[in-house]
Amino acid sequence: MDGGEPGLKNRNNMQKIDKVKRDRALELLKGGSDSKLLTHLNACVRCGLCAGSCMFYIAHKESKYIPAKKVDLVSSVYRRYCTTMGKIAPALVNAKELDDNMAEEMVDLLFGSCTMCGRCVKHCSIGVDIAYVVRKGREMLSAMDMVPASLQATVDSALRTGNNMAIPTEEFVDTIKWMEEELIDELGDKNARIPLDEPDKNVFYTLNPREPKFFPLSISAIAKIFYAAGENWTISSLFYDVTNYGYFNGNKEEATVIARNLYDEIHKLKGNVLVLGECGHGTRANRWEGPNYLRKSYDFDMTTAVELIVDYIRQGRIKLDNSLNQELVTIHDPCNLVRNGGLLDEIRFVVKSAANNFTEMNPHGNENYCCGGGGGMLAMSEYNDRRLKIGEIKANQIRATGAKVVITPCHNCVDQLSQLNHTYKLGIKIKTIAELVADALIIEK
Amino acid sequence: MCWFHWIAITSLIFSVALFSYQFARLVILGKPEDLSVSSGNVTKGVVYSFTKAMAPGAKESAYLHMPTYAGGIIYHLGTFLSLALFFVLIVGFPSFNNPLKFIFSVLLFISFFAGFAILIKRILNKDLKSLSGLDDYISNIITSLVQLMTAVYLLIPDAEIFYYLSVALFFIWLPLGKTKHLLYFFFARYHLGFFYGWRGTWPQKSE
Repeated sequence: MDGGEPGLKNRNNMQKIDKVKRDRALELLKGGSDSKLLTHLNACVRCGLCAGSCMFYIAHKESKYIPAKKVDLVSSVYRRYCTTMGKIAPALVNAKELDDNMAEEMVDLLFGSCTMCGRCVKHCSIGVDIAYVVRKGREMLSAMDMVPASLQATVDSALRTGNNMAIPTEEFVDTIKWMEEELIDELGDKNARIPLDEPDKNVFYTLNPREPKFFPLSISAIAKIFYAAGENWTISSLFYDVTNYGYFNGNKEEATVIARNLYDEIHKLKGNVLVLGECGHGTRANRWEGPNYLRKSYDFDMTTAVELIVDYIRQGRIKLDNSLNQELVTIHDPCNLVRNGGLLDEIRFVVKSAANNFTEMNPHGNENYCCGGGGGMLAMSEYNDRRLKIGEIKANQIRATGAKVVITPCHNCVDQLSQLNHTYKLGIKIKTIAELVADALIIEK
Repeated sequence: MCWFHWIAITSLIFSVALFSYQFARLVILGKPEDLSVSSGNVTKGVVYSFTKAMAPGAKESAYLHMPTYAGGIIYHLGTFLSLALFFVLIVGFPSFNNPLKFIFSVLLFISFFAGFAILIKRILNKDLKSLSGLDDYISNIITSLVQLMTAVYLLIPDAEIFYYLSVALFFIWLPLGKTKHLLYFFFARYHLGFFYGWRGTWPQKSE
């Protein structure tokens, strides 16, 4: 299935690196102010035991996919330019030049062969944060203008239009109005609403642009939950995009601009709580990285849709009848919400509250395999074959459960799982948490 | 003291000085700055990182590779035993009796062979070979050599010069090659515990 070196053949923005670009990249490796970076660049012993924890290696069985190899690409450049031994006797300490060949290899392996899921990190014999080093490598490539064109186009769309799919505002508003009409019909209440751009609301809700574009029913699902909970909420018609592909392309300046869109918009609308829609990397980029991009603590609360629903259930604000979801369901844990976000228990609490026939994948939770679409892979069409190939691991996991429904609180994962469903003929339904909960809601009139 | 004792001691001072510099630099840089709101407990995360997360059953790098893992543990124990014996031998206290010397020698021969087996695996395994450079081979050979020479010296006092020269080589290389993970390992576990602890992944809330 893997047709060779897609990243190297198809990239149209590859340019020879000159001294200026290389210096920009190397500046990022100067660990003078970062203990974490310094540590992880010096800690790997290349034992290779991380290989069996990486989907790319498991699927392809090629040495180049070993996570330690990806770390070594970055750390060998670090040693060459930032350590005395690397400058005096580079061969002795595996120090390497940052030349065109090295840069091309970095693009192929750091962008095209890693979802930054962090599974190898948890299992590393030392404790090297491999995903962190990969991200640093991506930052270096970004500094050299070597981001794959397809990924950069996604970031550019977000910078240009406010959402990564470049959905025009009129189209978005039409979709919301359409979903509002559906909601009114379903609930039989003409007062049911999907509020747009309303100030002074408690909840400022965000969406993955895939929702208005491909999965509008997930918007009416969360609206139904807000209706049942009596929530005071709104969505912005301009800056509703929870995603931030600037996290993936390694350009912190661009990531900061995108994160600031939401920061400014919630202030403009005077919202109380920024609720991050069901998106793994969007949650990570806003909740964990956002304040660091903007270099300030946020002066509003931030939570995820999953945690908000947990609160609604625990506070009795919504009532669920899990017998309304009878089919056997399983959970796909989004890496950025569970292993890298700590929401393992919350997701299970909601799913078990809303469905009465539940089974776990093996492995699951913090041990979970990525769906294969993380790290910006879904945006990089150059690597489609690889993405679907590594996804076979997830497809086999799902098949082994016998589940008819896969629940995942991440629209990127939904997209990848939908493609796996088609490619590997799984015959399953894929739902978000909101869709599952909406189907179990008891609406009291 | 003879000239080879002084070479070993000078090498030790070099090693300690370089490690002290690296240690001080990491400590001065301090803990990671994170402006997000934590949903976990960093202290518990760091403790977890050094304890339960290190258990063989918690890491695929251990339980999927038990022979290599066991070999690695033996090899590292042998390294620490060699270090401890160096300090005892250089000050000449206490004098070991013959059975004790024999036991230490046997243990060190075992750990040497564990290291040697890891070296052979690196040479023969195509995945490991592709990852490896001079540093990987030098680090293994020097570390294995010091274990072997310690074992030999305990049994054959005439090997004293070769023992101290191998120790000197080891101390010089320790902070330069990948053997410096002697220091960075602990910081890596700390940062990992900080990262997962901050986000509430380690320890898992329901644990």
